[in-house]
Amino acid sequence: MVQEVAIGHETVRWEPVPAEDAVVQVQNLNLFYGKHQALYNVSVNFPRNKITAIIGPSGCGKSTLLRSLNRMNDLVPGVRLEGKVIYEGVDIYDTQVDPVEVRRHIGMVFQKPNPFPKTIFENVVFGLRLQGQKTGLDEVAQRALERAALWDEVKDKLGEIALRLSGGQQQRLCIARAIATEPPLLLLDEPTSALDPIATERIESLLIELKQHYSLVIVTHNMQQAARIADRTVFMHLGVLIEEGPTNQMFTNPRDKRTEAYITGRFG
Amino acid sequence: MQRGLIQDSSQNPQKQQRDRINRVFARAVVVPTVIALALIAVLLLDTLYDTVSVQVVEVTETSGKSFALGQALTADQVIRLELAAQGKSEQEIAAFMSDPDEMRIFRLRNRVELMWATQDGPLRWVVSSLDDTRIKNLSLIEGLRQWNELKQSLNENQQLRLNPWLDYSFLTRDPSRNPISAGLRVALFGTIWLLTMTLLISIPIGVGTAIYLEEYAPKNRLTRFIEVNLRNLAGVPSIVFGLLGLAVFVRGMQLGPTLMAAALTMALLIMPTISIAAREALRSVPDSMRLAAYALGATKWQMISKVVLPATIPGVATGVILAAARAIGEAAPLLMVGAAAYVAFIPRGPLSEYTVLPVQIYLWISANLSEFANTAAAGIVVLLLTLGGLYALAFWVRRKYRVEW
Amino acid sequence: MNTSTSTTWASKKPGRSPGERLVEAILFATSLVSVLTTAAVIVVLFSETFQFFLRVPLTEFLFAPEWTPLFAEPRYGIGALLAGTFLFTAIGLVIAIPLGLLTAAYLAEYAPHEQSIRVKGIMELLEGVPTVVFGYFALLFLTPILQNLIPGLNLFNPISAGLVLGFAILPYISNVASDAMMAVPRSLREAAYALGATKFEVVTKVVFPAAVSGIVAAIILATSRAVGETMIAAIAAGQRPILTLDPRETIATMTSYIVQAATGDQPAGSLASRALFSVGATLFLLTLGFNILAQRIVERYRERYE
Ligand SMILES: Nc1ncnc2c1ncn2[C@@H]1O[C@H](COP(=O)(O)OP(=O)(O)O)[C@@H](O)[C@H]1O
Ligand SMILES: [Mg+2]
Repeated sequence: MVQEVAIGHETVRWEPVPAEDAVVQVQNLNLFYGKHQALYNVSVNFPRNKITAIIGPSGCGKSTLLRSLNRMNDLVPGVRLEGKVIYEGVDIYDTQVDPVEVRRHIGMVFQKPNPFPKTIFENVVFGLRLQGQKTGLDEVAQRALERAALWDEVKDKLGEIALRLSGGQQQRLCIARAIATEPPLLLLDEPTSALDPIATERIESLLIELKQHYSLVIVTHNMQQAARIADRTVFMHLGVLIEEGPTNQMFTNPRDKRTEAYITGRFG
Repeated sequence: MQRGLIQDSSQNPQKQQRDRINRVFARAVVVPTVIALALIAVLLLDTLYDTVSVQVVEVTETSGKSFALGQALTADQVIRLELAAQGKSEQEIAAFMSDPDEMRIFRLRNRVELMWATQDGPLRWVVSSLDDTRIKNLSLIEGLRQWNELKQSLNENQQLRLNPWLDYSFLTRDPSRNPISAGLRVALFGTIWLLTMTLLISIPIGVGTAIYLEEYAPKNRLTRFIEVNLRNLAGVPSIVFGLLGLAVFVRGMQLGPTLMAAALTMALLIMPTISIAAREALRSVPDSMRLAAYALGATKWQMISKVVLPATIPGVATGVILAAARAIGEAAPLLMVGAAAYVAFIPRGPLSEYTVLPVQIYLWISANLSEFANTAAAGIVVLLLTLGGLYALAFWVRRKYRVEW
Repeated sequence: MNTSTSTTWASKKPGRSPGERLVEAILFATSLVSVLTTAAVIVVLFSETFQFFLRVPLTEFLFAPEWTPLFAEPRYGIGALLAGTFLFTAIGLVIAIPLGLLTAAYLAEYAPHEQSIRVKGIMELLEGVPTVVFGYFALLFLTPILQNLIPGLNLFNPISAGLVLGFAILPYISNVASDAMMAVPRSLREAAYALGATKFEVVTKVVFPAAVSGIVAAIILATSRAVGETMIAAIAAGQRPILTLDPRETIATMTSYIVQAATGDQPAGSLASRALFSVGATLFLLTLGFNILAQRIVERYRERYE
């Protein structure tokens, strides 16, 4: 029943992002895992140099939507997708487009820190090495680690295996690794859910810093986090995009009753 | 790195290179499997191919005649025809065939074989004798290519045969220094005897070890040592077990080159395999079953024997069958404990001398006579069919009795 | 709780009756069989070897160029057998390592489920072929072909024996290595993909390095199998112990020498028989060393991801 209501739902939009300000435009996206449909006709524009949060109850398709933005879902067997995802004017699902290339332009940070069992330095420059870059690695690594607010902590032990870092440091290392290749867009899937509050706070302030250089889309199920850092928020429910708009407006005055229920903590 | 770059990079030569390597590698990973499969296929075909040969035989004792399949169906009928062809009268034949001694000697010295072809046509019976001289022994293709020339060049009492070595008579004859009368009977019986004895010894020990380690063993040094030891024992080369058997069973216990010594050796060899399989089966029984049995007032051994063991039978059976398959194919350790001796009789008991299939095959291979390559091939086919049967059985047991907890 | 009644009906503690204790004792005894076996192996091999070294100086054993215990002037140079074993094993590994690692990569990274079951089945098949059959194939099929290709190749030679050996040990490499690769967490692969790696790069730059200890263990394990492999060597590589590294020559491995010696007649207690056990002891120590090393390495990488 709820499902049916949701499927016909017309997304509530506040101050929609104009196409020219959007780094990614998602248009009428439907996504299926085999027979199971995980996204229903999702359309949304993500703005440049802003933080957009995707929120919603567990299993509503937040990760699925995020992973469609850099074609990570291609790695899941049996995935089918309809609609368009236009990144800087190019539909990334166009048959001409190589998913490997897409992922080099769009970085991603995962829920659990996943550094490679290599040295800190090798982790940071991994993407650069893939692209065949051999010179200037030291400078790039330093800049990425500085931006990820990790440099001071690791500058004396770049040759150590990354697995020895604390969870929060590992996650910042993963962010450094993702931004070392300067991807204009950075996707983060609940990047702080495995971390303690202090590490979380460091990463949040880091993300706000990163806005100057990158566009960010972050999945979170932590409402406070969205309120603290996100310029815009997208609310999803059962695979449907219910409501999207500037965070403070949506949080203070949600129009859809499901958004209101979720934000006020009545389900989720 | 800004707008629009996504498409441009497909023109980038470095990217093209990466893509090419990626595609090549995705194909390369399948190659070994294909090679392995091809190797197995070639091995099987080559072996089957070697079980057939084209021979030119000069007969001395027998008639050198061949008889159509329509004329005779049983060996006795063939013998009757052969005796007639040798010029014996009806009475002589009747007297000969009713004399058990004459017939026994005849059967020992001769072999009734159905040839796929002779110079007289396809599917003919012939009687070969130990004293036949084999002038040529050619592989199938070579022989068929030269068939007509060979046929032309046949002398008075020479015969051309397309001989399938693997026939019923091959399975029922004893070993021989002469390939045409060499058979697998002794080795087959030896294998059955040895396997039975080996399993009778190794199953109780292997399963007992598993039960002790899984159900009883305290977590201490000794247990840990037994476990590590078991694993290391499974990695000891089988030939070392052969040396152990030679020193302890053959010489030390003075069992000599007997089935008993061999069975003890093989039991020690496959015991770790059985034990490891049994432990896995025991581990797959959920603790809730054990608790349920205790809750009903079972003692520990009642719990194990009435609840846990029955549940592990399929797993243990599979492990035992696979261990048996390994035992059947093993030649190395048995060569150490006396299986290589020439044994002309089937075993009568645990203290008999013996030989087994793979050892018989090894002896034929090393006999360095081209016809023994044919019997070796025929022996391999029998060995592989036996193993195939066992693997099929193991697969079936696993399928049929698989329990999902 | 009324203690006096509870002691009457619960006086027999479960699992402590004489019968129960007897069962446990029997089971414990069976578990000692494996320990006794190992002990017996060690005692037998090393007591005979000790006797051997009472008569033959260690320097002879280590440095003599030939191994000819049955000659009128016997020589006892284990080097000849080690060289033969090395040739045989090395050729086997040259085949088995690349094929095994590619298969492992296929199983762990590429094969869809049903396909990987099939490939594992093929590997099991390869594992199940009795080694006399492989020996037959090497000697009577492969060697004649190779003799046409390689001038000067002897009938018995480590090349064709080693080639076939490679396939016999391939399953050990592919099984252990693919397990190690599958134990690499998915999150590492995702991280690499998200950085724009191709599948080849994910496999070679992330999965292989992360699984390297397991892969090394797989190779060591296969080496141990190869060193102990007997029938292929005895049938196809030869039984002529000379010190050479020319793979076209007929050689003897430790195992093929043991077969040769034991199928001949050597009275217990003779020096030739003791020499046989000294080869057995060398073989045992070598394979045991490999196995323990492999286990150590596997345990280390298990810890890392648990
Ligand atoms: N790999 C997958 N295969 C099949 N179904 C999936 C897969 N990943 C997610 N799903 C399903 O898609 C829906 C959305 O999942 P997800 O995007 O992970 O939700 P969220 O991140 O909001 O918790 C869920 O119903 C989930 O069960
Ligand atoms: Mg999620």
